[in-house]
Amino acid sequence: MAILEMNQVNKFFGSGHTEIEALKPTNFQAEKGELIAVIGPSGSGKSTFLTIAGGLQTPTNGKVIINEMDITSLKEKKRSAIRLREIGFVLQASNLVPFLTVSQQMQLLDKVKKHNLSAEKLKELYQSLGIEDLLNSFPSDLSGGERQRVAIAKALYTDPSIILADEPTASLDSDRAFEVMEMLKEATTKNDKTTIVVTHDTRLIDYCDKVYNITDGRLSLKQPSH
Amino acid sequence: MFLAWNEIKNNKLRFTLIVGVLMLVSYLVFFLSGLANGLENMNKEAVDKWDGQGVILTEESDINLPQSSLTLDDYNGEGVDEYASLAQINSIATSDDHKSNVSIFGIDKEEFIMPNVIEGDAFAKEGEVIANESLKDEGFKLGDKLSLSSTEEDLTIVGFTNNAKFNAAPVLYTDLYTLQKVRYGKAAENYEDRINAFILRTDNLSDIEVPDELQVVDTTTFIENLPGYSEQNLTLTFMIYFLFIISAVVLAIFLYVLTIQKVSIFGVMKAQGISSSYLARSVIAQTFLLAIAGVIIGFILTMITGFFLPAAVPVAFNYLDLLVYGIVLIFVSVLGALFSIQTIVKIDPLKAIGG
Ligand SMILES: Nc1ncnc2c1ncn2[C@@H]1O[C@H](COP(=O)(O)OP(=O)(O)OP(=O)(O)O)[C@@H](O)[C@H]1O
Ligand SMILES: [Mg+2]
Repeated sequence: MAILEMNQVNKFFGSGHTEIEALKPTNFQAEKGELIAVIGPSGSGKSTFLTIAGGLQTPTNGKVIINEMDITSLKEKKRSAIRLREIGFVLQASNLVPFLTVSQQMQLLDKVKKHNLSAEKLKELYQSLGIEDLLNSFPSDLSGGERQRVAIAKALYTDPSIILADEPTASLDSDRAFEVMEMLKEATTKNDKTTIVVTHDTRLIDYCDKVYNITDGRLSLKQPSH
Repeated sequence: MFLAWNEIKNNKLRFTLIVGVLMLVSYLVFFLSGLANGLENMNKEAVDKWDGQGVILTEESDINLPQSSLTLDDYNGEGVDEYASLAQINSIATSDDHKSNVSIFGIDKEEFIMPNVIEGDAFAKEGEVIANESLKDEGFKLGDKLSLSSTEEDLTIVGFTNNAKFNAAPVLYTDLYTLQKVRYGKAAENYEDRINAFILRTDNLSDIEVPDELQVVDTTTFIENLPGYSEQNLTLTFMIYFLFIISAVVLAIFLYVLTIQKVSIFGVMKAQGISSSYLARSVIAQTFLLAIAGVIIGFILTMITGFFLPAAVPVAFNYLDLLVYGIVLIFVSVLGALFSIQTIVKIDPLKAIGG
């Protein structure tokens, strides 16, 4: 059973002369335990695809189904609750709260959601991300790569079924980038998650089960899973 | 609270500024309230002291005590529990180089206007007075001979009472005859029954019947018609209400700017699925904390200032008033914060993430 399903989803921006179809009608399915890459040039519609998949914006047409729930016509309030429960976002820009320390970033999630990772699991997560010594640091005291790893910890902490990462490795050197991909891979297979990584870094696709290409809003499967 | 408090801890300067502004506003509110209360007391203390429910004045007097002139037999106490006659004039009393405005009350020793004596004795002979103790602060003492601006007669302070100011002037209590001497000099004999008002103690003021040329006025109305009283009160109350508006607006602006600065942070949290209502509550909680801190510090400052203030400054704090004003200040501050809520609700998480 697909954890994420998109049926005939498209997205228009603007109107009249300036109207563009950022995402052409798309069918897409992702199963548990899959690590999926979406690659494409700038402006091709990668972020549009990812944010529609994550319920951050609604498609013009079509249906988005997360964990058997049709979220297409839900109000923002409901979608927000589903994001909190089902989805972990890792964004290219830092998505940390500047006035909270690393461990407080997780505590904030405790305030708004139950059933997050146990203390033990969280410690493991910190260790596997190599940030166990940074717990009392504020985001401004961290390097770009460290911030990215904290962001991943934050995305995984709520134990979501789907992880959506928009260029998670863009601010990292290649060693770190590979490490981050390995971590996402591990989280995906070990905990049976579904991870979609948007990137234009083709070196990272070796880690992925499926690779999709997107050009001018048209999504196509690049190679069968190996 | 978690977000609110951690943000405050990590941005001490900006939040100290907000607390500082709130502190200054609440300080001013508390102080004005104390001043209003003090001035009010100065005007009506003696009226509170005689503890009556109503006053009989002439219709012509326009509820102004010195303008009301009637005689002892204009009213015989019908329909009230108790009544007392009062003759009153304003004067300036001088003793050596001390000088003070005074309000002289001519009363019947046996009636209830007769004040308690906290020092010295009650007046017994002609020319003797019981003075309000505030005159002591101005340098007057027991046994002082007072010469008055309006007459040759001298008065002697034989006793002191407390809480007796009328229309901002300390009261000298004396017998009716002495007052008439002060007022009419040698002709006093002919005017012995001339008084300004009857003070009434009764539970059914409206039932009292008086001739057409007289009127029965309840004590509240009487106080409100003291010269300058209502104007003063209105001015100060207006200032206080205006300060409420100012604090709401200042807070609204401050928080709005802070919210605008945090749009991307809020957006990121919303993208993650943290609800607008949690963020809104956090901003409200934050405002609440800041407002409480500002009001409490303002209160402490007010108390400290009040402690060091010279007695002549008419500031008297009514703690119930201060409590109410403090709560109102906190409330309007939170109202100011509500202004930012709609901004938070409207933040599009998508924008925060960026393509
Ligand atoms: N809110 C919007 N309003 C109008 N046009 C938009 C909006 N968001 C995206 N677009 C357009 O849709 C197209 C796809 O944008 P999208 O952000 O998905 O690209 P992308 O593949 O993520 O690019 P990049 O690699 O640079 O991040 C672009 O042409 C962009 O200009
Ligand atoms: Mg993008």
